Amino acid sequence: MKFSRRMCVGMATLVVIAAFWYVATTGLGLISAGRFPAPSDVETAAVQAFVRGYPDTTLLVHVLHSLRLVALGFLVSVTLGVPLGLLMGWNRTAEALINPVFLLLRPIPPLAWIPLAILWLGLGDGAKVMVIVIAALPPAVITTQAGVRSVPPQIVEAAQMLGTPRLRFVWDVLAPAAAPMIFTGLRLALQASWTTLVAAELVGSLAGLGYVLNVAQQDLYPGMILVGMAAVGVLGAGSTALLGMAERRAIGWAQLRGAA
Amino acid sequence: MSAIRFEQVEKSFGSHVKALDGVDLTVADREFVAIVGASGCGKTTCLRLVAGFEAPTGGRITVGGKPVTEPGPDRAVVFQQFALFPWKTVAQNIAFGLRNKGMPSAERQERVAAAIDMIGLSSHADAYPHQLSGGMQQRVAIARAYVLEPEVLLMDEPFGALDAQTRVVMQEELVRLARRNPRTVLFITHGVEEAVYLADRVAIMTRRPGRIKEMIDVKAVRETERWEEHARIEDVMDLESFIHLRTHIWKSLREEKPAGR
Repeated sequence: MKFSRRMCVGMATLVVIAAFWYVATTGLGLISAGRFPAPSDVETAAVQAFVRGYPDTTLLVHVLHSLRLVALGFLVSVTLGVPLGLLMGWNRTAEALINPVFLLLRPIPPLAWIPLAILWLGLGDGAKVMVIVIAALPPAVITTQAGVRSVPPQIVEAAQMLGTPRLRFVWDVLAPAAAPMIFTGLRLALQASWTTLVAAELVGSLAGLGYVLNVAQQDLYPGMILVGMAAVGVLGAGSTALLGMAERRAIGWAQLRGAA
Repeated sequence: MSAIRFEQVEKSFGSHVKALDGVDLTVADREFVAIVGASGCGKTTCLRLVAGFEAPTGGRITVGGKPVTEPGPDRAVVFQQFALFPWKTVAQNIAFGLRNKGMPSAERQERVAAAIDMIGLSSHADAYPHQLSGGMQQRVAIARAYVLEPEVLLMDEPFGALDAQTRVVMQEELVRLARRNPRTVLFITHGVEEAVYLADRVAIMTRRPGRIKEMIDVKAVRETERWEEHARIEDVMDLESFIHLRTHIWKSLREEKPAGR
């Protein structure tokens, strides 16, 4: 199988990196433990995080907390962003109305919203979800809009001549025709959710992976910093893979067409 | 009653490009009219006006006596590039227009099955368009149009994207279909032989800005010379009466000097 071959190569890369890491730290001592942890330090930190908990609770609790924020932020972004993108892609008036707002707001880094978010929603989860939404909404909107724009005019005309009612046209023609682009937007939105999460959790959190990283930094605990980072990496990759599975299921036709 | 009538139809794109300049043409009820002309002469524009995708800048187009205002299932279109919905199966593509009409599911399934049977794709009902050859895809597009039982069928170079052998098969199939189930058909093509083989009358267009230059009555010749007795297109094309008409149209088209010379 071609797929498993690719997996083997990927695994080999990881093994080589791990070996290099071991040799450079524990083996030859090229990198001091204060700057970058040795594998054994990370193992100790991981055991502590999983079993005894750091800080306060186990890693699983932090992971669930972060997952909940990302899921909330991602879902809000998608349920707002995809319809908004469809509307802006199809309706020139809507685009003319909304686009200037986007143009002004987009250059502002999502993290610059944190003070305002805290002012509005306090130190709880609301502010963090808001910051994630601010980061994840634009990619969802913009790619959906671009997807609608790239629908071949003949598909639109075919739907018109078949007498398609407006609502059905949106959900049964525009949305599926734009679906490959919409899924690209979802993937970008998911990535934006994860990258913003950690920063959002640095402020006023009592749980979550960002909080773990923040406390580990204050404790000068490189092993735990690496554990936190690895957890974000694994979760980000895992959720992206899940989305990819959903994509293959939903728009298999587009991938088959690409292969043909 | 579903005649198509062009009355002094003009169409300009912007202020510089005049595509149609006073087109007068009537396609009678259940008549098959083919428009031939050079690329860019505005023949596709004629079809798009009847379909309601564009509005004329002058004159009037009526179908069944009513002016055309917007696209609708009474004027089904078969596109050159098929324009099937790639995310829907063959059966779902054909059922799409019937669902819009609010037809009950049982009746719809029956009609769709009959249409799939008609185009000989029963074993591909659940296939997606990209899994089919070009000829099969165009058959689906034709079935998608026919199943609506439209007053008017508009075909825009429907076989232009197919290879030569497939095209011939499709032309023969279309003749059989049109005989069994006659519709008012406006057929756009740049293939002179295709037009003569398929149409009751052939309209020859001038270069841009397009007008109807000449109408050729093929039906009278077909009936007196008994083309119907020949099942195969190549046998019809061998007939002297066919060659005569074809050559006449070719000469008429050749008289049209290429634009800018």
